Amino acid sequence: MDADPRQYEHIKINGKDSHNIILSYLIHGCFKDTVESLVASTGLKVPAAQLEDMEKRKRILHFAINGNALDAIQLTEQLSPDLLENNKGLLLDLLSLHFIELISSKKCTEALEFAQVKLTPFGKVQKYVEKLEDFMALLAYEEPEKSPMFHLLSLEYRQHVADDLNKAILAHACTPSYSGLERIIQQATVVRQCLTEELGKDALSPFSFKDFLKS
Amino acid sequence: MLHKDLSVIIYGLNAHFMGGVEDNEPPSKRVKASSRELKGVSNGLKEPATYSFGASMARPLAAQGDNEIIGSKGIKKVEFVRIIAEALYSLGYSKTGACLEEESGIPFHSPTVSIFIQQILDGNWDGSIASLHKIGIRDESIIKSASFIILQQKFFELLDREKLMEALKTLRTEISPLSINSNRVRELSFFILSPEFRINGVSGQQLVKPKARSELLEELQKLFPPTLMIPDRRLLQLVEQALDLQREACLFHNSDVGETSLFTDHHCGRDQIPSQTVQILQDHQDEVWYLQFSQNGKYLASSSSDNSAIIWEVGLDCEVSLKHRLIGHQKPVSSISWSPDDDQILTCGMEEVVRRWDVTSGECLHVYEKGLLGLISCSWSPDGKYVFSGLTDKSIIMWDLDGKEMECIKGQKTIRNSDLQITTDGKLIITICKETMILLIDRESRSERCIEEEQMIVSFTLSRDNKYLLVSLVNEELHLWSIEGHIRLVAKYKGHKRSRFIVRACFGGLEQAFIASGSEDSQVYIWHRGSGELIETLEGHSGAVNCISWNPANPHMLASASDDRTIRIWGLKQLHSKQKDNGKSASNNGIHYCNGASI
Repeated sequence: MDADPRQYEHIKINGKDSHNIILSYLIHGCFKDTVESLVASTGLKVPAAQLEDMEKRKRILHFAINGNALDAIQLTEQLSPDLLENNKGLLLDLLSLHFIELISSKKCTEALEFAQVKLTPFGKVQKYVEKLEDFMALLAYEEPEKSPMFHLLSLEYRQHVADDLNKAILAHACTPSYSGLERIIQQATVVRQCLTEELGKDALSPFSFKDFLKS
Repeated sequence: MLHKDLSVIIYGLNAHFMGGVEDNEPPSKRVKASSRELKGVSNGLKEPATYSFGASMARPLAAQGDNEIIGSKGIKKVEFVRIIAEALYSLGYSKTGACLEEESGIPFHSPTVSIFIQQILDGNWDGSIASLHKIGIRDESIIKSASFIILQQKFFELLDREKLMEALKTLRTEISPLSINSNRVRELSFFILSPEFRINGVSGQQLVKPKARSELLEELQKLFPPTLMIPDRRLLQLVEQALDLQREACLFHNSDVGETSLFTDHHCGRDQIPSQTVQILQDHQDEVWYLQFSQNGKYLASSSSDNSAIIWEVGLDCEVSLKHRLIGHQKPVSSISWSPDDDQILTCGMEEVVRRWDVTSGECLHVYEKGLLGLISCSWSPDGKYVFSGLTDKSIIMWDLDGKEMECIKGQKTIRNSDLQITTDGKLIITICKETMILLIDRESRSERCIEEEQMIVSFTLSRDNKYLLVSLVNEELHLWSIEGHIRLVAKYKGHKRSRFIVRACFGGLEQAFIASGSEDSQVYIWHRGSGELIETLEGHSGAVNCISWNPANPHMLASASDDRTIRIWGLKQLHSKQKDNGKSASNNGIHYCNGASI
């Protein structure tokens, strides 16, 4: 039971809203060049400060994804002081990136020393112990790629940490941590799912955003 | 006793080697023999008992096969000798042990095992791992588990000496490649991080100190097949098993045996069961229907159709004297329940009210009633805070001590003149809900289980450990049910007589190993619970015996309540009869006390 497509015609969309949605998505993802291009073609205004921040964020995230956690941390401290202080879990994740980098480069002694100095303090807090155990487990294997914790070495993990960092920085600056576009997709999906549930067995199939876009 | 000629003296095992013939030589006659006195004995099975023991054992091994049998139960000689050697080593007689090995030619451990043990004790980890592979264990997983344990010990010992990098190397290159216990591997690498994490925060104890190497050996021994490394103190274990079996088979076992002797089989005489009347209590004016000792065995409470109950005190010399008369009921008192701390009791008048009394003062503290309904049973909750009672409308009610109604379980839960019991862990309410059915209600979940009988149920009683229910049936049988987990019938006891009245039974004696029941033929019947055998019938009463209680604190004291208006206290048969038939002497030290509200 889909809504009659003609009903959509009655909803007016403001062109500016559409542009802003796209813009927020691009800024969120630090797509600098695309932002400039969009600004040029639509005549939208973006405050310079916001562009600068985006630039800084981009560099930080770039460091994070490439495993250069120490620089990422340093820049984050500069951009948003106290962020990591108040976000210990995130700090631990970032430090782990460096630790994992050392292990990947087979520098086990350094890795152990780094862990002893930087990671040990986290072990006193119960909720971080499991994560710490995960990281340390990598040390136990000569071929970490073959250990149960191999996923920590992957790009996905670094991406995941970078995303968390991104959201944290944005939240710290009191800007929304999710881009408008993402929010809209989430909202639509949730609403459709609720409707489907209410209909119960009369519903044809679970809502799929992908399919909806294609129709 | 080791002598230079290397003879072995192991006294007492004569009988076993000589095919079960009794060895009657007193301990002082120790027989010494040296290997030079060898008398070329054959298989030892048919030789007379008086043979000098040492000689028969001292034979070179070469002629014997590994499958030589001793005795008549298929015991292998090789195993037997190795167990003895283990016992010697456990006791600290290592020279004797070594002697035995040499003289019998049966090695305690194979040489590789001996080397292995030494390597472990020396901390030669690499060597021990190598030996492990040569010991002769077929199962790969055991070898791996054993290697893991050994390497873990190595790891901890290195950590203990702060050799972190070496410990790490052991972990990476030796432990992880075993590919087992990955959770443990995780924990181990965490421990490297900091000494703090090896400490249990709460108690401050070191959580992962390396254990003693001898402990390590014990742990390994449990992993290995028993033929490889003989379990510690195996001989002792076997002997203890034999003692347990003897004890279980002893029908009259009713005393804590202080002296357990290995020289003769355990066997109690009938004299351990209370079988003689030592006191007759005549203070009730009508039939005595119910009685029960308090949990601590210091008091006895009895109730009668004379509308009263009596609290008796059990003196230090086991003499029972009247303490309080509890007057107040207007109907025959059909049952009694002691509070968990023995300070108070509940009495239930037949289809009337329930009264709560203080044991020390004899005062009635509260009367519980429910409108026009009559109460038919009473029971304390195990925490002493609530009173349960069955009602004539077949429901069960629960009050707090002040009489405030807390709960009422409706429905056909309990029938007339019914027993009501709560298990001591507070979890189950047990009641007779129909003529042939006992209901077990779970207090928390309200789920119900039941025991169904084919005959009408007269009464039941619960064992102290809450695991068994003894059900008295109309067809003169007692059925023992196990109620823990799967409900099933475990045993039946017969012999007593019952046709018209309620006759109760109870558990009793040391570890509740006996069942006692009243009977309409005026006798008390006692069975051995385990075997079901009727071991005693006690005569004396001149009327039906309605109820029995065995003193929980004194397995030699039994009390019975009868229609002949008396209570008899039974004790062990004395050599000099100390019977007190005169009822007056029994209540000499008692206090006649009228208490309770009189209407």
